[in-house]
Amino acid sequence: MLPRVRRETGSTAALGPADEADLIARCRTDDRTAHDELYHRYRRQVAANLYRVLNDRTDLDDLVQEVFVIAFRGLDKFRGDARLSTWLYRICVNVALGRIRTRRRRPSAIGVADLDATAVDPSLVERPETPERTLQRQQDRDRVYRALEQLAPKKRVVLYLHEIEGRDLKDIAYLVDSNPVTVRTRLFYARREFYRLIAGDAALDPPPMGGEEGEA
Amino acid sequence: MSRHVAPQTWADAFAGRLSDDERAAIEQHAEGCEKCARSRARVGRASDSFASLRAQTAPELPWDAVRARVHWTVSKERRARTAPVPRRSRFAWPRRTWLALGLAAVGGIGVVIATQRTTSSPAKEPTIALARVAPAEAPSPPPAPAPAPLAGLVNRAAGEVRLDGVRPAELFTQRLVAGNVIATGDGAVDVQFGEASAFALGPGSTLELRRFDAEAIELAVTGTIDVEVAARRPGQRFLVIAGEHTVEVRGTQFRVEHVAEGTRVACRHGRVAVRDRAAEVEVGTARGLRIAPGTALTEERVAPLTVDELDALARATPLQLPLWDVDALARNSAPLSIATPTAATREVRVDGVELGRAPLAVRVMPGRHTVEAADHAGRFRRAGWVDVAGAGAGARLELPAERPPTAGIAARRRELRAGLDHARLASCTRSIAKAGLSGTYVQIELAVDEHGAVGFLNVIDTDLPSSTARCVRESLAQVRFRAGAAATLRERIDL
Repeated sequence: MLPRVRRETGSTAALGPADEADLIARCRTDDRTAHDELYHRYRRQVAANLYRVLNDRTDLDDLVQEVFVIAFRGLDKFRGDARLSTWLYRICVNVALGRIRTRRRRPSAIGVADLDATAVDPSLVERPETPERTLQRQQDRDRVYRALEQLAPKKRVVLYLHEIEGRDLKDIAYLVDSNPVTVRTRLFYARREFYRLIAGDAALDPPPMGGEEGEA
Repeated sequence: MSRHVAPQTWADAFAGRLSDDERAAIEQHAEGCEKCARSRARVGRASDSFASLRAQTAPELPWDAVRARVHWTVSKERRARTAPVPRRSRFAWPRRTWLALGLAAVGGIGVVIATQRTTSSPAKEPTIALARVAPAEAPSPPPAPAPAPLAGLVNRAAGEVRLDGVRPAELFTQRLVAGNVIATGDGAVDVQFGEASAFALGPGSTLELRRFDAEAIELAVTGTIDVEVAARRPGQRFLVIAGEHTVEVRGTQFRVEHVAEGTRVACRHGRVAVRDRAAEVEVGTARGLRIAPGTALTEERVAPLTVDELDALARATPLQLPLWDVDALARNSAPLSIATPTAATREVRVDGVELGRAPLAVRVMPGRHTVEAADHAGRFRRAGWVDVAGAGAGARLELPAERPPTAGIAARRRELRAGLDHARLASCTRSIAKAGLSGTYVQIELAVDEHGAVGFLNVIDTDLPSSTARCVRESLAQVRFRAGAAATLRERIDL
C-alpha cells in the first residue's frame, strides 16, 4: 500500500463537524479571531480552487478577497447543510463564473498565469523528464484550458467540475446552485463541445514560436 | 462499425465508462481510421493532463494584505449597519417650512387674482369660448393587450395520466394550456411551464389550469402538487387554489396537499402566503401549515418541517429541462419510455438522476443516455444505453429482469482481496505518487461465474488518470478465482 500524502490545502488540520459549527458560531458573533481562523484555514484552498477553475492568477488576490467577503457576509444564512469547505467552494465557483463572464466581455492582455505557464510544472521537478516530454505535457494542459476558454461560462464550470475535479452531478448541482437534471444536460453539451475542440485541433494549437498569429 | 467515434466516447473509454466490448469495437475502428486514431490520441493526452490540472496548488499571494482588505470591507459594512440613524438637521425643518409657506403664499395670491378676474368679467367668458377651450373628449384608452398565453410540456409521466378526461396517446407532445384538467390515477406527472418553473402532480390528484398566461397562473388542485417556480416579475401572480384556501408565491418550491382531511402547505424554500376569506398566514422556508376542514386559518399554526418532510419535498422536485421555450423544447427533446418485464416496479435513474419507479416515461434531450435500475438491495446497476435521436422520435428501453441475489459475493470478495498483487498496484501508481497524488481509488464491477471465470471486469469509477487506471485494471484482471458460487460484485479498492 502506498503512503498517503495529504494534498497541501493551507489548513492546519481538518475540522470536525463540532469544531466547524463552533467556528461558524463564533464568526457569527463577529469574533475577529474566529474570522482570522477561518481565513487562515481556508485561504489556500480558496485560492487554489479559483486558480484551477480560471487558470489565471491575475487579480487572484482580489477574487480571494471577494470570496471571503461574501462568506463573512453570508455566514448568517449558512444553514450547515454542507461542509463549510463545500460552501466556500460554491462561493468560489460563483465568483469564478462571474470572472469568466467579465473576461469574455472584456478580454484582457496576457496574464501572469500565461507567462507562468511556460515555466516547468512544479510537480515534474521531482521526476526529471525529457524536455520534449515536459513541453508536450505543458502543451496538453494549454490545449485543455484553451478548449475550456471557448465554452460558455456555465458549461465550462460544469465540465471542469465533472471531468477535471471528478465531482458527481449532485455535488455539481449544489456548487452551481442548480438541479442535477440541468447539470446533466449542460454537461452533455459541454462534453460534446469540449472533446470536439480537443479532437479537432487547429484552433487550439498554440501559435508557433515567433511565427504568425495562428494557423490557417 | 462504420461511423466515426465521437470524441467524448474516447473520454468515456479512458475513464473506464465503456464495457470491454464497446471499447474493443471503437479501438478496432480506430485501427483503420486515421481521423479517429488522431482523435483518440488527442483526447487521451487531454485526459492524462486532468490529474496534473487537479493537483495544481495555489500560487503565493499577499495573504496578510488580502486579510486586511477583507477585514476592512466587512467591518466597514458592520459599522454602517450598527451606526445610529443620523438625526435631521436642526435647520432643515425651518428651511423646508419657509419654502412650503412661500409656495403656499404664491399659490394663494394666484388663486385670489384668478377668482377676482372671473368674478369681475363673467360676460367675457362666452359659452362657446368655454366650449372651444374645453378639452376634447378624451379618446378611450386602447384596450390592454391580452397577456401572452402560456403552455406547459410534460417532462415525466408514470402510471395513468388523463388530460381533460381522456388518456392521450402522445402525452409528451401535448401542450397544456388554460382550461386543461390533468388527473392522475396511480401515477404522477411533471409539467414544465417556463424556465426553472414546473410542477409535479402526485398520485390520485386533479389539477385545473384555471388561468395560465404571462400575467397570472391559477392552478386549482385536489390532491398533491409540488411546485417549483422561478421568481415572478412584478405584477405576475402565481396562485394555487386548494378549496377555500389560496396559496400565493413569488419564487419558491412548495407543496400543497388538499384532501378530505384538510389542506397542508409545506414550503421547501422561499415564502408563500396562504389565504382564506378572513386571514392570511405566511409560510417560510422549511415550514409547514396544516389546516383542518372547517377551521379558520388564524387558528392554525405554522410549524417547522421535519427532516423527513424536507427530504420528501426535495425528492418531489419536479423534473425540469434547462432549455425553455415551449417550441424549442418540443423540437429538441423526445420521450424515453422505461418499461419493466414484470408487473413489479423498480427505481430507475437516467444519466445519474433518480426518477422514481419504472415503468415511466421521461423527456430527454437527444443523445445517448445511461439507464440504471436499482436491485433488491437498492443499489443501482446499469440497465443499458439508449440512443435518442431527437425531434420527437421517442425511445424505449425494457429493463432486464432482476437477477436473483448471488450467494457467493462475500467469498468472491475475499478471494479478490487475497489475490491482489500489491506490488504491481504500487508500481502502477508510483508515478502519480511521486507527483504528490495519493489517496486514490478504483471502484470496479466484477462478475465471476461458477467455474471461477471472470465474466467482466469494469472500472466504474476512479480518480486515476486513464493510463494508471488501465494499469490497475490489468493488474486486477490477473486475480484468479476458484470454482464456487457465481457472483457479481462492486468493490472499491483504495490505492
